[in-house]
Amino acid sequence: MVGEELIAGPVLDAAGMKALSAALAITVTGLASAWAEKEIGTAAIGAMAENEGLFGKGLILTVIPETIVIFGLVVALLINQ
Amino acid sequence: MRLLEKFWGGKKSSRTSDKKKKGTSNYAYAVTRVRAMKSKLVPKETYPRLLNMGIDEITRFIQESEYKNDIDELAMKYSGADLAEHALNRNLALTYEKLLRITAGELNYLITEYLRRYDVWNIKTLLRGKQYNASVEEILESLISAGEFTYTFLSELAGTESYQDIIEALKETEYYPILQEYDGNNLADIENEMDKMYYSSLFEAIGKPRSKDRKLFARFVKLEVDVKNLSTLFRLKRAGVEQLDEILPLMIEGGLALNTEKLAALPYEDFVEELRKTEYWDALSGVYSPEMKSLNALESKLKKYSLESATTYSHVSPISIVPIMDYIIYKHNEVSNLRMIVRGKEAGLADTLIKDQLVVI
Repeated sequence: MVGEELIAGPVLDAAGMKALSAALAITVTGLASAWAEKEIGTAAIGAMAENEGLFGKGLILTVIPETIVIFGLVVALLINQ
Repeated sequence: MRLLEKFWGGKKSSRTSDKKKKGTSNYAYAVTRVRAMKSKLVPKETYPRLLNMGIDEITRFIQESEYKNDIDELAMKYSGADLAEHALNRNLALTYEKLLRITAGELNYLITEYLRRYDVWNIKTLLRGKQYNASVEEILESLISAGEFTYTFLSELAGTESYQDIIEALKETEYYPILQEYDGNNLADIENEMDKMYYSSLFEAIGKPRSKDRKLFARFVKLEVDVKNLSTLFRLKRAGVEQLDEILPLMIEGGLALNTEKLAALPYEDFVEELRKTEYWDALSGVYSPEMKSLNALESKLKKYSLESATTYSHVSPISIVPIMDYIIYKHNEVSNLRMIVRGKEAGLADTLIKDQLVVI
């Protein structure tokens, strides 16, 4: 039967699982920081539209959630070591 | 939590009664922008300085602040206190228009509903003006085109011959059924009915609040109703009106903590006694005395209380409609303060008298 060998053995071996976990770590944290940056970014633009002096602060606050995806990247690298 | 709510939005919306959610609202953007706008309002330290200035100096001061464009554009047509007043009204209308421009979806819908109060205000002004034969100029001074009616439309109405023409022109609006009742003498009743209609349609727009920010918004509007009812009651009670059938039609329904029916039935002393049990007494106790001559101090205390509560609410729910409402009433307060100073100075009132009228936070 076609596909019998797939049912018999595990679909993913250890290397596959590792790759998938690393992908998950990056994807989820990437989505999370994207969402957070979107919220903060629109808010920062709102404040900047009224007061241009807030550009520096807005920029810094907007990129802070970037740390989330960096943690994801670190975890992904650790998994693959 | 908000994220989860957004993902489940489709499924949840059928269960909640927060009606008319059209599209998504850009809360984060609108709220921060409005907060930045609030930081540009005239600070309270400025008012004593303004009181020491003459009208031209005040106009100059206004011109150097957020009202620059308005003064510049109107300076050709008006001068003195009229210039300041027109500029203030124009700026208020434009500011509210801007709020509508920068918001979307549910937020926009609720603000539009809230700002209908200016339509009511304008219709009242027009009818009052016609009843007392005010000149077109005088009527134009008091119009604030922050609602749905544009300034051009309103000034056309102000230029009409009689109140019948105005009512005829408003045939398509939802106010027409009430306005039809107007026969030239019952202006007070019509005004009352319009206020009531405004609040009942606002409550309808809010719906039965489920989410936290809607609840706070509803609370905010209810508090406003209470404050209105309370100052009406104070005036009536002081004037010695005690018949229930005279008082109750003047009360707006849907208040927060006041039992208007119970309060309306009491004579003045008992009424004040009963008020001591409510949350409003903290605000009033400082200025209330049985022999006070005018209610001005009391009313400005009440206004101050509602402004302060709005700020508190806006801290409870920072990313919601409440901070925007907070700004709306603060802006209105600023304009009315500046207007009082300008008009007070023009009429030659004493500084202390003007100062008592100001609501400064």
